[in-house]
Order: sequence, then C-alpha cells, then structure tokens
Amino acid sequence: MTDTLQMLVTIAVIALATFATRILPFMCFGSREPPAMLSVIEKNLPPMILLLLVVYCLKDVQWLAAPYGIPELFTIGIVAGLHFWKRNAMLSIFTGTALYMALVQFHVFSFL
Amino acid sequence: MGWQKIYRINIIYVFHSSKRITAQGVTEEKNMARNGMDNREAGEQTKEIFISAFKTTIPVLLGYIPLGMAFGLLLDGAGYHWIYAFLMSLFVYAGSGQFLAVALLVAGAGITEFVVATLLLNFRHAFYGLSLLEKFSGVGKVKPYLIFALTDETYALLTTTEVPQSSSKSRFYFYIAALDHFYWIAGSVLGAVIGSMLDLNLEGMSFVLTALFVVLTIEQYFNSETRFPFLAALGAGALSLILFSPDNMLLASIILGTLILIGREKSMQGIHTKKVIRQINASVQPVEDKIKKES
Repeated sequence: MTDTLQMLVTIAVIALATFATRILPFMCFGSREPPAMLSVIEKNLPPMILLLLVVYCLKDVQWLAAPYGIPELFTIGIVAGLHFWKRNAMLSIFTGTALYMALVQFHVFSFL
Repeated sequence: MGWQKIYRINIIYVFHSSKRITAQGVTEEKNMARNGMDNREAGEQTKEIFISAFKTTIPVLLGYIPLGMAFGLLLDGAGYHWIYAFLMSLFVYAGSGQFLAVALLVAGAGITEFVVATLLLNFRHAFYGLSLLEKFSGVGKVKPYLIFALTDETYALLTTTEVPQSSSKSRFYFYIAALDHFYWIAGSVLGAVIGSMLDLNLEGMSFVLTALFVVLTIEQYFNSETRFPFLAALGAGALSLILFSPDNMLLASIILGTLILIGREKSMQGIHTKKVIRQINASVQPVEDKIKKES
C-alpha cells in the first residue's frame, strides 16, 4: 500500500514539474506585454528549435565507430532532397523511415 | 509483420475516438443550430477538421507507438504494473522525461532528485511556450490543455502546420494535441501489457520522428524570410553535441541558440541606431552650417 502511495506521489510530482516548465512563459507574460526583444526572438525560435530537434535526434550516433552515422546522414539527405523536390510531407517522411529501417535491419552499411 | 497488428489495433482506437469526438461535435452542433446555424454544415466541418488534424499527426502516430512501447516495456521490465505506464503517459506526457523517471525509479531516487532532474530535462519547454504566446492567445478554454500537452512533436506540428481554411484554430490545435497524447498513451500501455510477449522488429521505426523534424524544418525554411535562425541552430547544435552529454545537449543548445539570436538582434539594433544617428547628423549639419553662415 505504501509502495502504491509512494509511486502515485512520485508520478504526481513529475507531472507537476513537467507542467511547470510548460506553463512558465504563459505565467510570466500572460497578463503583461512581453518585452520588445522577445517578439523578435519569438519569430526566430521555431525554425531554430526545429533544426535543433533534428540535431538532437542524432545525439546517440557514434561518429567515430562504424558505420560513422552514415545511415542517419544518408537518410536525412534523402528525406531533405525528396522534400525540396516534391514537397510532399508524407512521401518524404515514409520513404525516409522505410529506407532507414531497411538500412539498419539489413545492416546495409556493415561493410564499413 | 508484427507491427501491422499493433497498427491495426491503433486504427481501431483512433476510429473509436473519432466517433467519440464526432459525437461531441454533434452536441455542439445542436447548440449552434439553436443559434441559427446550419446543422449539417457544422458537423461536416468538425469532421473535416478532425480528419485534417489526423492526417497531420500520422507521422507522430508511427513514432509514438514504438517509442511509447519502449517506455512501457522498460517500466514493465522494472517490475511496475502497466497501470503506472498509463498514469504516467496520461498525466506526465513527456517522452524523455518518462524514460528518465524509469531510470530514477530503478536507482531508488528521492523526491528531490525527481523534481530537479525533471525540471532540468524539461526546461526546454519554457522556450517552446515563449514562441507560442501569440498563437495560443485567443484559443479559449482549450489553452490549459494545449500548454499541458506541449511535447517536442506537438510543438513542431503546431508551429509549422497551417490551420485549414475557414476552420477554428482552437479546435484544430486541440485535435492535434489530443491525438498525439492518445498515441503516446496507447503505445506505452501496449508496450507494458503485451510488449514482452511480442517479438517485433521495430528497429529504426522511431526514425519517423527524425524525418518529421527534417520535413518541418524545411517547411520553416520555405516560410521564413531570414536564414539566420538556421545558422544559429547549426552552430549551437554542433557545439552542444561536442560539449554536452546526450541527455543535456538539447536544453544547452536551445539556450546557446537563443543567446546567439539575442546577441545578433542586439548588434543589429546597435548598427541600426548608429546609422540613424549618422543620418540625423548628416541632415542637421547643413542646417547648422546655414545658421552659422547667416549669423
């Protein structure tokens, strides 16, 4: 029983801490006008964060050991190329994912 | 293949929830009819918004199922009942945060450690909110939920996807956020309940989220007139990959990138101010000379 209670308290604490990080900017600038600098940053943040999320997806890649991140970079190149060419989100995303799954499951780059 | 089975189960869930949400739409429809709006039209519109929101979230569906399952499996493997996977995904709803929580649970961490680690890991969300202040103003009563459900993937979709023409922004955003949330819960419960029984080869499937971010970044590239944020991201991202551990690099790179953006803005303003002063000087000079001459 105490174990259950402890687990529920832990979950509640993690939930509150996570929600706090999400609501913080809305609490700070909910009623008053945000500073002018912020509105400039506000516009530039999404493109920057999205590219950083791409970089973040590569955080566990071992660059110095085979296959040197080549499956990831190769597939990202294909996805980007396809998207610049056709600009069809579903086509780019699913071609890329299927390609990547094939590359890693069949160890295509194992010769490296 | 095994994952098709899961995919099918999910589709059933999605249809089920679509019925439920459409049913809600029907009640709202009645209210609207009372206000003199055409009954059928309002219902059709709700369905249309839902379908376009669903289409937008399909990559997240395919990404959250294997990731959620991995989380469920991990929690199950640590000896916890599947109900906890459900509760965490329902109330915490933070991918990397939940993985971290399992690691801390296994290590027998204290409450303070949970709080500090969660705040640090999830602090990046504060930056997400900063760029959504304007977008979220005027979404009405769904705002608290949209803020609660702001994961990396939902943020990426909300900032890049255009609201379909003539549909309500709040409803479109709500459907996207709720669908993503639902996929995550479904994935983690599936993982905790049946994950250990299935022998799936989902290796590489969560690359769908990488591909989604790549596509959305390119969309941002098409939509934005300035190229500097991308340069800032490449610089800050590369530096953080080298300097910080994988767990800390995202927050570090966002802070670094924001500082670069602010620094650039400050220096641009500095140049601009100097230019204005020079212009004023230039226009004042002849007048001054004239006054001197005349006196």
